Amino acid sequence: MRLTLSLILVSLVLLASCTGNPQRKQLTLAVVSGVEGEALKQAARDYETLKNVHIEIAEFPYSNLFEKELIDLKARTGAYDLIMLDDPWFPRFAHEQVLTDLTPLLQKHGQSGPDSDFIQTSLALCRHPYQTGALFALPYVGNSQLFFYRKDLFEKYLMKPPATWNDVRTAAKTIQEKESAGANGEHVYGYVMRAAQGNAAVADFMPIFWAFGGEMFDANGKPTVNSPEGIAALEFMVELGKYSPPGYPSFNADDVGAHLLQGTAAMSINWPAWISSFGDPSKSKVIGKMEFTTLPGAQKSGQAEIGNWLIAIPRDSLNGDQAIEFLVWATSAEQMKRSAQRGNPPTRKSLFQDPELVAKNPAYPAQLRSLESSRPRPRTPYWNEIENAFGIFLSKANSGELSPADAMNQANAEIEKILQRAN
Amino acid sequence: MAVLLTLSIYPLFYSVTISLQQHTAEGVRWGLGNFARLFSDNFFVAALAHTFVYAVAALTCEFLIGLGLALLLNNQIRARSVFRASLLIPMMLPTVVVGVVWRLMLNPNFGAINGTLKQFGINTESLTWTASPKLAMLSVIAVDVWQWTPFVFLVLLAGLQAIPQEPYEAALIDGSSRWQTFWHVTLPLLKPSILIVLLLRTMDLLRVFDQIFILTEGGPGFATETISLYIYRTAFRFFDFGYAAAMSFVLLALTNVISAMYIKFLQAKESI
Repeated sequence: MRLTLSLILVSLVLLASCTGNPQRKQLTLAVVSGVEGEALKQAARDYETLKNVHIEIAEFPYSNLFEKELIDLKARTGAYDLIMLDDPWFPRFAHEQVLTDLTPLLQKHGQSGPDSDFIQTSLALCRHPYQTGALFALPYVGNSQLFFYRKDLFEKYLMKPPATWNDVRTAAKTIQEKESAGANGEHVYGYVMRAAQGNAAVADFMPIFWAFGGEMFDANGKPTVNSPEGIAALEFMVELGKYSPPGYPSFNADDVGAHLLQGTAAMSINWPAWISSFGDPSKSKVIGKMEFTTLPGAQKSGQAEIGNWLIAIPRDSLNGDQAIEFLVWATSAEQMKRSAQRGNPPTRKSLFQDPELVAKNPAYPAQLRSLESSRPRPRTPYWNEIENAFGIFLSKANSGELSPADAMNQANAEIEKILQRAN
Repeated sequence: MAVLLTLSIYPLFYSVTISLQQHTAEGVRWGLGNFARLFSDNFFVAALAHTFVYAVAALTCEFLIGLGLALLLNNQIRARSVFRASLLIPMMLPTVVVGVVWRLMLNPNFGAINGTLKQFGINTESLTWTASPKLAMLSVIAVDVWQWTPFVFLVLLAGLQAIPQEPYEAALIDGSSRWQTFWHVTLPLLKPSILIVLLLRTMDLLRVFDQIFILTEGGPGFATETISLYIYRTAFRFFDFGYAAAMSFVLLALTNVISAMYIKFLQAKESI
């Protein structure tokens, strides 16, 4: 009896889900909550009224988005027609072959491929293999790291904007020594970084690592984080930590942001999303005092880590044609300008040079330089696992649990294990 | 029965199946590979050790404080009901809220705890609660003690109040001291409550996830990573469900063994 009842219930639910209005076209979008997804959501609302398409939005916080999307795509439910991807996730999705090759779809719409206005480093992320392979996504939000510093303090102590990591260390030392005995006991730390295990520590370390000449893998794909350059880079990071507020081995982006906004730290690596809050009197004590530039160099010239949001179409989407139509529309120069006005850095060169946008975003020239010279995190489907292991040892070195050399040696061994398992 | 089959038995068998699968470049390999990997996985061994340190320390504190409070508030003291009610607040808060609140309070630079200590002239420079490998474990244990001692207290108090007056009167007549009364009358009669509270807390502590996830996310480094966090990461970040399932079974087995030991131990004493 109970079995029949539940059977009836299940079939009713199934029936109900099949009998939606078939006339009205429908798309489902998976977006991240926060400013990046908000812009796409608003674009979707505009599109609905423009094209009489109903768009369903599934919104997830950053920490859940990856798992939701990958579980759904692997189960081939066809639940989503368009998904937002953080670029380090992309190799995994491409590797699992759950995304649609966009080139044939674009050709159907009379385009031979993405236009040349897209920034090359952003577009390269959307190809699998990197830069050379088939196109599985289009870039939507063009983030790359910037170097933030307190212009007023640099002018006060007659220092030039930091061009190398040595400059950074010298400036951090100067500022910390001279600003430690402020009139009202205010203490300004020379530098602030985040070294919480995982994404945070790795993101703050990679620009130093690359500038010192470190490489995560050699030409044969073997991990080489414990090279002399790598160890030197970590030693430098730990040294810079002396000028960072206590507790930084557990800092995440919000802690770094809080220190900069409160005026208690003078420099950091950070993402463009923070820039607008420095001008907000309700949050910021440093209005007009922050300056943004490209990352410092060392043995090599400075390179930022790129962190773009991409939009892709799952292989099992039932509405591929409409999805590509929306995707092309949303990433067009006109619509991306609206996204930029809603607070997202674009992925098109013309928009970084658009006078109207530059007037509102004085950091755009620096952002463009940073983005065009940026580097991606290593393109491997196992990045999440590698980043986790690497981040743990970076954090351990910063909290004093391990020496930089030990941390790098152990990290190298763990990364090697991960790769061995995968192959 | 159908509900039980779909919701409980099918997932169980499915997780057994995937724990026996390893995905490699050549395809799926069947066998005990996932379980063998446990022994060579430094992260797993460390997470296991952290889980035990965490569980033993938190359980000991919670039990001793909870018992003390229960004994205290079992007596007629002034404003007893106010104490009792206020003690229950932490337990009624969602764990996530507790985690966020404590994370803010423990913030070394802007947090309430270091702020208060500074007012008393204490140098808080080295008190980076969730950021130093040594203090981080202490911090997450303290938060669990803060939140779950009331539960221990509540169960033990209920147990105390269920004890009849007669044995106490008999003990009084026999001239036993307060300590003797506690040891020979109260504790044995409280045993069923103690068993329940230890059992529930142990199971909870061994699979702790939410507070630590919010407070430290297992950091700094790996210092507060417990098995549940590591299982979560393996399954939903690295998408290695087979290995995650294997670890879950180990955790299940350990919880079962420990629970069985409790029950045996406390029952054996009862029969004497």
